[in-house]
Amino acid sequence: MLVNLPGPWSPFLGRLALSEIPYTNPILAPLFVVIVLAGIALVAGITYYGKWGYLWKEWFTTVDHKKLGIMYIILGLIMLFRGFIDGLMMRTQQTLAVGSGHNGMPVMGAIHGYLAPFHFGQIYSAHGLIMILLAATPLLVGLMNIIVPLQIGARDMAYPYLNALGLWITAAAVFLIMISLFVGDFSHNGWFGYAPIFELAYSPGVGVDYWIWTLELVALGTTLGSINFLATVVKMRAPGVTWTRLPVFTWTAVSANIIALTSFPCLQVALALVGADRYLGTHFFTAGFGGNLMLYTNLFWLWGHPEVYFVILPAFGMISEVIPTFSEKPIFGYITMVLASFAIAGVSWIVWLHHFFTMGMGPYVSTEFSVATMLVGIPTGVKVFNWTFTMYRGRLTFSSAMIWSIGALFLLLIGGLTGMMLSIPAINYMVHNSVFVVAHFHMMLLCIVYAVFSAIIFWFPKVFGFKLNEAWGKIMFWLFSAGTFLVFFPMFMLGFMGETRRLDWPFNLQWAPWFDVQEVGIAVYVLSVLAFLWLIYVSIRDRAENRVGADAWGTSRSLEWITDSPVPFYNFAMVPHVNHRDEAAWRRENGFSDKRPEKFVDIHMPNNTPVAIIIGALTFVVGFGLTWRIWWLTVLALVVTVLVMIYRSGKGDPGYIISAEEMAKMDRESRQKMDDGHAHLPKGGGYTGGTVTAYSAGAGDSGSSGTPPGNSRPLS
Amino acid sequence: MSHGHSNPLQHPEVQMASRSSYLAGFVIASLLMLAATILVSGQVLAPFALLLTIMGCAGLAAIAQMYFLLHIDISEHNIWNTVALVMFIPLFVITIGLTWWMFSQLYMRTMPMIPGMPGMH
Amino acid sequence: MSSAHDKPVNPDQVVLWSDDYEGHDVISTRTFGFWMYILSDGMLFATLFAAYGVLSYSHSYYTGPTPAQFVAPWYTFIQTMALFLSVLAYGFSMASMKTGSKAGVINGMIASMVLGGVFLGLNIHDVLRMISMGITPEVSGGLSAFYALTQVHAAHIFVGLIWMLVMLYQILKKGFTEDVVGRLISLRMFWQFQAVMWVFIYVFVYLWGYMS
Repeated sequence: MLVNLPGPWSPFLGRLALSEIPYTNPILAPLFVVIVLAGIALVAGITYYGKWGYLWKEWFTTVDHKKLGIMYIILGLIMLFRGFIDGLMMRTQQTLAVGSGHNGMPVMGAIHGYLAPFHFGQIYSAHGLIMILLAATPLLVGLMNIIVPLQIGARDMAYPYLNALGLWITAAAVFLIMISLFVGDFSHNGWFGYAPIFELAYSPGVGVDYWIWTLELVALGTTLGSINFLATVVKMRAPGVTWTRLPVFTWTAVSANIIALTSFPCLQVALALVGADRYLGTHFFTAGFGGNLMLYTNLFWLWGHPEVYFVILPAFGMISEVIPTFSEKPIFGYITMVLASFAIAGVSWIVWLHHFFTMGMGPYVSTEFSVATMLVGIPTGVKVFNWTFTMYRGRLTFSSAMIWSIGALFLLLIGGLTGMMLSIPAINYMVHNSVFVVAHFHMMLLCIVYAVFSAIIFWFPKVFGFKLNEAWGKIMFWLFSAGTFLVFFPMFMLGFMGETRRLDWPFNLQWAPWFDVQEVGIAVYVLSVLAFLWLIYVSIRDRAENRVGADAWGTSRSLEWITDSPVPFYNFAMVPHVNHRDEAAWRRENGFSDKRPEKFVDIHMPNNTPVAIIIGALTFVVGFGLTWRIWWLTVLALVVTVLVMIYRSGKGDPGYIISAEEMAKMDRESRQKMDDGHAHLPKGGGYTGGTVTAYSAGAGDSGSSGTPPGNSRPLS
Repeated sequence: MSHGHSNPLQHPEVQMASRSSYLAGFVIASLLMLAATILVSGQVLAPFALLLTIMGCAGLAAIAQMYFLLHIDISEHNIWNTVALVMFIPLFVITIGLTWWMFSQLYMRTMPMIPGMPGMH
Repeated sequence: MSSAHDKPVNPDQVVLWSDDYEGHDVISTRTFGFWMYILSDGMLFATLFAAYGVLSYSHSYYTGPTPAQFVAPWYTFIQTMALFLSVLAYGFSMASMKTGSKAGVINGMIASMVLGGVFLGLNIHDVLRMISMGITPEVSGGLSAFYALTQVHAAHIFVGLIWMLVMLYQILKKGFTEDVVGRLISLRMFWQFQAVMWVFIYVFVYLWGYMS
């Protein structure tokens, strides 16, 4: 049944051999040394300060949705950085390699530029896969993880243990793709893979296998997470949270997770069939023997297009939370906002063919998919107008979170309009596989990145109890935007000039000036990364001055802003009774903001468990064993996984009870700590230095509200 | 969070189990499968009519099993399961239907059938 | 939008905290989540059906055999009956749980396992017969798709049987606790859903393959 391999194989180590470690590569070898040294320093530091027990007890075994969300976000930011470095390497290669002559660096074994084609292929494949599935997805899942339970008044997700399992399986995927840097190669045929290049005959190495199992692990983790989100929103809403009182972010989380739940199985099947071709010698996607290459492309995009909306919808939700808060108005057109989210989710299922219009299936099919693609513009347009009308005649505060959201709107506009162009088959045939397409989807994905940065700045005080530095948030925004402009606008131009994507050697000398502009853009992006690191450092250093109360911005709207900042592990001392869609705004305007619960009841909380991280580690072993075809290791890890799951199922989790008296005491302490923290700051903790009555009569004349931010508190 | 039901056996989802309903689902599905098998092994109908008939059998058997076995109805305790299923069914149809349409059009243009080959379509 | 703000709110009557909130229903939450998993599993089968649809043209079988040459409808019908009876036995086992009858539940489950085992045994026998005739997944794309669909279903049956074994142990060890009852209901849905999927596989893969 198993196919014959083109290289050596041993029963004990599979395909693994010392020669698979690229210790002669002048980029990877020093990088490996740096990472090992950094790892040793990190381990030594943790050991020196005796923090292993803390990490294990508070983080690695936790089932708390907020901590899991924070770990998701850290994972996402690290991978965002890794993906960015890949992008930097690609840009530099094209800048160096452009032209017709032999301008390569011999020391690197390159004829053009500094990267050999095989190496360049691995970099763009890893860049795409990482950015979409290991950076954007964890960042969004992390934010949803933290905010959704708070917005519906739940103490945790419906299945806290499953939540931890999802995180650790995603982390296993991250480890698998990172280890491919130093052991073996990564796939070189694009993040979505081309049939039949990924067949064993054409890609005999382990790169494609790494790619398959990384994707399978992320798909598994995300599917588990989506079940959890949907069950949480359906079953765990606090009394009073009716469907029409769900905040827009929660609604977009629901629609996004419906997409994830329904589409990720398609990816799992598509890649499992690639795996069957490579491991068992079947003929799903081979060029002969009755296989069909385009079937792979079809199955992949059957998942791939819904996935695009899985990542954009939560970003829309974040913008929908940030803009009303800093416009001091409720969201305009709530119902249409919700319907638009579901319209986008629904249409996302009937547009996937626009990724391969050039397949040749004739005019009828193309027309259907073209029209369906254009339909996406309608609900998206509704959303853009709703955000604009929310800002219209609002009392706008251009805080850093707000300008990131507004920036996202501009990118959405450019990405959306170029998307409309691409939805027309006649245009699509012309620019198919050119960098025009690349520039288009980078606009869309950067729209998500903008929204994520906006959301991180916006919700950071809720989770950590202090605000991020405003000035550096804005500096980072302008640097990042300059980078975006300089890198991707030339890319649109290059697309029109006929540059195809994934060129390791752009031969046309006329493209050179644009590559130089892009290289400058990348340098500005580097500055924005440094600004981000500095932003984090400055904010932590000055945290005492930036402590906030429950309502961190003073103009916040939804339910998460009525509980303490930082959110205690039990979320709400008493489950709130929700009276209004914008509960925090409603309580503030009616003067209930300071009311604490007087009566407490016993609450039931889940215990921490090490099982999730153990299963995560085992899935990594399964993926590694399959990649290198170490059968005994794979089977062993699978069997142990099943046994651990059975053991956990037998043991169960009785949870523990926090008594009412203890709860009352903890609530008092949490309140005291929060008040002490920002006692020296204006009451309310926001810009406006007081309770803002946003849209009731006479709000504009009230002396206690509407103070411009510049007057009440200096920036930075 | 206290638990709503002190005795799990009194939970509505336990109490909704019913021997007669499970038996009905079994009998209906079995008879339909029997009918389809007899029709196919006897080749008594023209191919297209036969195809439509067995598709009907499959659809009815699946509906019977959904209703009698999986309790897909609009009662208070099952409504969310029904809503989830109703959301999924169009996606099943889209996944299979649009793929099939796309590739039948593609094959029409790129794969002329070789006469005399054994085939399904 | 702002209608709620126009009405004056009486601070004495407003309810801000849910004093008598009972919490969520643990069993329903578990079974609803599991039902969503089952539906995503259905999507997995739908994708395999889509692949099978594309790979069941005459050219998909290359020069190798087509299902018309190796499918035996009555043999597979016996498989069908074994699976349906297994599902029925599991249903009866769940009906016994209403009254808390441990013996009824265990007997039903053992019957269900035996019948599920018969289904799996017949499937393995069928696969071995085909392999001995040289009809393997490596022969053609069409056969790859045929094997993928039927054997993924068989793998589900195998997982279900292991799960039943675990549940038998848990019933004996722990009795009908909230966790055990929730898992038994999830398993019921899982097992019944395999019968639904089998209806489509039987009709569209075996019978349709046989007739064309």
